[in-house]
Amino acid sequence: MIRFEDVSKHYDNQTALRKISFSVEKGEMVFVTGPSGSGKSTLLKLVYLAERADEGSVFVSGWEINTIRDSDIPVLRRKIGVVFQEFRLLFNRTIFENVAIALRIRGFDERDIKARVFDSLKTVNLRHKSDNYPHALSGGEQQRIAIARAIVAEPTIILADEPTGNVDPDTSAGIIRTFKDINARGATILIATHNRDLFKDTGKRIVKLDFGNFVGEGIA
Amino acid sequence: MSLPYSFKLAINSLLHEKWINLLSMLSMAAGLLFTAIILLAVYNIDRMTRNLPEKFSVMLYLKDTITPEEINALVESIKKDPAVEKVMFISKDEAFRELKANLRNTEYVLDGLGENPLPDSIEIKLKAQFLAPEQVKTVTTKLKELGGISEIEYGEKFLSSLHSLRTGMNVIGLIFLIVLSAGMIFICYSTVKILFYRKDEEIKTYKLLGATKGFIRTPFLIEGAVIGMCGGLFSFLAILSLYYTFIFRLSQTFPFLRSLHFPLEIFLALPVSGLCIGIAGAIIAIGRIRY
Repeated sequence: MIRFEDVSKHYDNQTALRKISFSVEKGEMVFVTGPSGSGKSTLLKLVYLAERADEGSVFVSGWEINTIRDSDIPVLRRKIGVVFQEFRLLFNRTIFENVAIALRIRGFDERDIKARVFDSLKTVNLRHKSDNYPHALSGGEQQRIAIARAIVAEPTIILADEPTGNVDPDTSAGIIRTFKDINARGATILIATHNRDLFKDTGKRIVKLDFGNFVGEGIA
Repeated sequence: MSLPYSFKLAINSLLHEKWINLLSMLSMAAGLLFTAIILLAVYNIDRMTRNLPEKFSVMLYLKDTITPEEINALVESIKKDPAVEKVMFISKDEAFRELKANLRNTEYVLDGLGENPLPDSIEIKLKAQFLAPEQVKTVTTKLKELGGISEIEYGEKFLSSLHSLRTGMNVIGLIFLIVLSAGMIFICYSTVKILFYRKDEEIKTYKLLGATKGFIRTPFLIEGAVIGMCGGLFSFLAILSLYYTFIFRLSQTFPFLRSLHFPLEIFLALPVSGLCIGIAGAIIAIGRIRY
């Protein structure tokens, strides 16, 4: 589903990723872990094409990211649900609209949108906030909205960049349970996190990065 | 991409940035109104001058020595010219009677003349397509070569001035049309560009979520179209007011204003032109979307 082959990425004189090679199989849930600045976010950005690899190849759903046609980029991105580290919510839209936008972009019809958005908000326990605007929500709640938006269209791949960075341990556990449920329904999930408690005892695969290097993998 | 949703986004954005959009609409309206006034002026001048050549004719004054047979031969020869529409022989007696009729109460001025001093003449009406100054000159040069003619007279200067006026007005109209259209496209371009920049982060998010170029573009195209069409409608109302003022109000004091024509096509073209200009400005403003 996702494959990195000798991938390197540099920012000015700094190396964010160095010769990274690993793959995530279809239906797998993998945690990418490492300290801040280890290259976790960059790795995820290469998958949803916010960044391009300087060396090596990234394969996602059969596309080679470095040679993908411009017209195929939105097609690929619609297969992926992303929980951005900075949330990327639309502050002039209600919570409902923030989640619905993922469906509108995919061409869902209005009735379907309503049902799916409320389902998704219920999953992250924010159904009652659907008419609020993002600035009226706490950081943790905003993060849960970003998760609701990522999962609402039931994409085949979900990428989550520090999805529990702003939430309390109980909510974190709830979010991981949600990801596991979605994973159980067949979605491939790649989560970048520095929080070891998040993947402890999940039985899922962990990929460790440090200073842009692949330092090992194992099972939690 | 759902079109109603694009409309909703566009209308929300138009209302959110209402002042800048209203200013653009009014600027567009002013530009379109000015363009329409120039087109109306060109149209009316063209219309008025187009009818004048119908009254235009070439007069051939014949020599006193010419015989009736020669006159007939001359008329037949002139009729064969492809540029000639109509040929009329006017005898010296007929011309004198006409002169007397024109003088009405002052015909006594002719009493001291004794015999009729006017010559026989031939009046030639040319076909409309041969009324350009150069063509008339060519026809008269050919006529000069025919025998029995003492003098040829036609309003050379008048015809030339009329031609220059029409050509000049058409050129001026075209220049204004191009310059003002470019200006109005620029107004729409600037407005949509500002809106586009203000939504930079939102657009980046759309792109990352997988939005197509159409999804991103459509609301801006609608905004451009609405700005343009509202500008067109404002100018339509303004020109309608002008029409009312000229035809129904001012014409009571200045009757010549009644002869002004306000063609319906120009009225209806304003909102449509505004719409097209608005869309063109928006297309240029959005430019090429890259992922």
